[in-house]
Amino acid sequence: MDDIDFKVYKIGKPEVYAHKCPECGTLYYPVPMICRHCSARRDPSGVFYSSWEKVPLSGLKGKLLTWTRVYALPVGFNDRYLLFGIVELENGLRASGRLLFEDPKIGMKVVAKAGIVREKVGQDVFGFMFDVR
Amino acid sequence: MRRVAITGIGHTIFGNLSDFDLVDVMAYASADALDDADIRKERKIIDQVIVANMGGGRLNHQAGIASSLVSRLDLEPAMAELVENGPASGGSAIKVGFATIMSGLADVVMVTGGEVMRTVPGWEGTDFVASLLHPEAEYNYGLTLPAFGAMFTRMYMDRYGLTERDLAILAVKDHENGEKNPFAHVRIPCTLEGIFDSPDANVVNNYIAEPLRLYGMCPVSDGAASIIMCATDSQKIKHFSKKKPVFIAGIGAATDTHCVHERKDPLELKAVKQSAEKAYRMAGISAKDVSFAELHDAFIILEIAISEEVGFFERGKAKDAIAKGITRISGKLPINTSGGLKAKGHPLGATGVSQVHELVKQLRGEAEKGRQVKDPKYGMAVNFGGFGNNIVTTICSKE
Amino acid sequence: MIINELEKKLRPPEIILDLYPPKVITLANGQKMVVREAKREEIGVLLETVHPLMGVPRDFYDIVAARMYAELLGWFRYRVTNEFVLVGAINGVIAGIVNSRLVDENIGMSLHTLTIDRGLRIGAQLFAAKMEHHLEFLGQKEVWIVAESPIGFRRWMIEYSLENREHLFPEIRHELGGVPTYVLTRALYDAVRKYKVSGQRPVDPDLLSSTDVLKAPDEYPQIPGYKRSKK
Repeated sequence: MDDIDFKVYKIGKPEVYAHKCPECGTLYYPVPMICRHCSARRDPSGVFYSSWEKVPLSGLKGKLLTWTRVYALPVGFNDRYLLFGIVELENGLRASGRLLFEDPKIGMKVVAKAGIVREKVGQDVFGFMFDVR
Repeated sequence: MRRVAITGIGHTIFGNLSDFDLVDVMAYASADALDDADIRKERKIIDQVIVANMGGGRLNHQAGIASSLVSRLDLEPAMAELVENGPASGGSAIKVGFATIMSGLADVVMVTGGEVMRTVPGWEGTDFVASLLHPEAEYNYGLTLPAFGAMFTRMYMDRYGLTERDLAILAVKDHENGEKNPFAHVRIPCTLEGIFDSPDANVVNNYIAEPLRLYGMCPVSDGAASIIMCATDSQKIKHFSKKKPVFIAGIGAATDTHCVHERKDPLELKAVKQSAEKAYRMAGISAKDVSFAELHDAFIILEIAISEEVGFFERGKAKDAIAKGITRISGKLPINTSGGLKAKGHPLGATGVSQVHELVKQLRGEAEKGRQVKDPKYGMAVNFGGFGNNIVTTICSKE
Repeated sequence: MIINELEKKLRPPEIILDLYPPKVITLANGQKMVVREAKREEIGVLLETVHPLMGVPRDFYDIVAARMYAELLGWFRYRVTNEFVLVGAINGVIAGIVNSRLVDENIGMSLHTLTIDRGLRIGAQLFAAKMEHHLEFLGQKEVWIVAESPIGFRRWMIEYSLENREHLFPEIRHELGGVPTYVLTRALYDAVRKYKVSGQRPVDPDLLSSTDVLKAPDEYPQIPGYKRSKK
């Protein structure tokens, strides 16, 4: 048997990634299948086209554009409420994510952290958790 | 030139119909439309049935719903398909029906939208509707449509100075209209004191997703609505002699980015503007010619935002018009005379068709006592899919 | 009062309970609902109100109504100890009833919540009033809660962040069927009080006296076409 790549069993620390278009370098979160600027294609399997380079986003600074405190959560969440917001990151990308602090205000300075946002069978789902900075 | 006339309409009560089968509920509204058009015995003149529904597969465990409906109504061998466009399924189904007639593929089309969502508990319904969001960047977080409605509202309040009390004033108007609509889910009117000014309002009208409160969101409803359309230059039009037809004057639709955060200005509902412009162009009118409108107020802020986006009021100014009473039934530009999604209810697949049902009822002069708009000429319906990423606008006219 | 010896044996030991101070809630449609404690003498109109709902099989109305009917009779005939009953009345007509009892000075056992008027969050507010009485006016430490309806119960679990004591079953078990129990402690209650407990005190004396003679409702949204037979 040829070499097994044991790296796939490595338990990763939570991270959220942007994808970078290989032709024009534009960053995307989430990633499309055709680049909006230069029309380059993406192949998630990486076989026919590049699957595009992943760029980690945690640690980036950002500004809070809007927020909410949601009481009626969907299946799978037993919290009384959760806080969410839309943030503009310093590299120009925007994202929606959870807020880790109680008194959000529009324009507040935040920092992007990555955490487990949902537990699915056999796999944890990582996403943005924004904190005050 | 071939035109499309709406010649029959039907509607069930909106509310808790979870004891009933989804296709039965749709068939009931469809049969009401057959009776309204007086073609119950001649029902086989229908060439095409289009069904609008979002949750049939997941909530009611049924597929092939359009074919099922055809048999329930004995309409074989009519062509039949389902159109799904989230909460805009109804508007899209009407657009597809319109196109089927205009292309010559059919002369008589029945469009029925319906949903039975109350078979599952609230948190499952919320999860199902949230499946409209982007799976990785939005859904995974536990974000919901109300969460986006709320974040949109907060941004709007910050930019234009809208207050929670302004939203409460609007809710009172919508519920006042809903009380007069026999099909509405919520027929208990509310008072400004009860939902905002009284010290108990914080509990009685609690936050669901700040700053949106219980009276800022539409209820979860079951129900169906149906319309029958006929080509004006077809021989079959002679079957529809009982009532004066209402015409589809214009239809437009457009899409925007899936993720709300990807929009340059998240407060700009580009797809609403573009779909309205296309509809105006086809109808040969502009915003000032619209006599009344049904605007998709799943979240009460949308009645305000959409009315500005389609050109009824300047950005940020809708709340002043509302406070002056301009959008009441007796006002210059009545909006959501049916009670809107807020009071009438929002069975996802039915809403778009229910909006056009109201346009037809008003244009025919058949609205209930106290609900009739005076001498309307053009009515407009805006059906909102996802959170602003797929919009269908329909304009109907008396002539 | 001299109670005959056998009757005395059949009555459980009693704690004298403080009376619930009445309050008035402004509902969303502007109506005012008075929330006050029911008196033993009002048993007739209470039973009359609950009775028709025993015939409604949906949403667990039948079992809640049947159990509440039994609990109200038990309260009236001194066969259930330390029970209290609160009513919500709009224009003197009963809109909802909640009942509960005390196990001892520290532990409360929540019994039932029955709402007739729908769409105005009356059930949720009467449930909160019940908790208010246990924890604030009767000075208890915690209340044990369970429910017949899984949907209603899950909502309370989440909205009050109830403490889960399932792992202590069967030592800790709710008497309504002995199922695993969730608990509302004073600390949990204080954290959500401002979102849950409504109503203003004191009640205008004229408004309060308008509820002196309670009336059973003539209509039940749960029973379309219902007509109370006049005797």
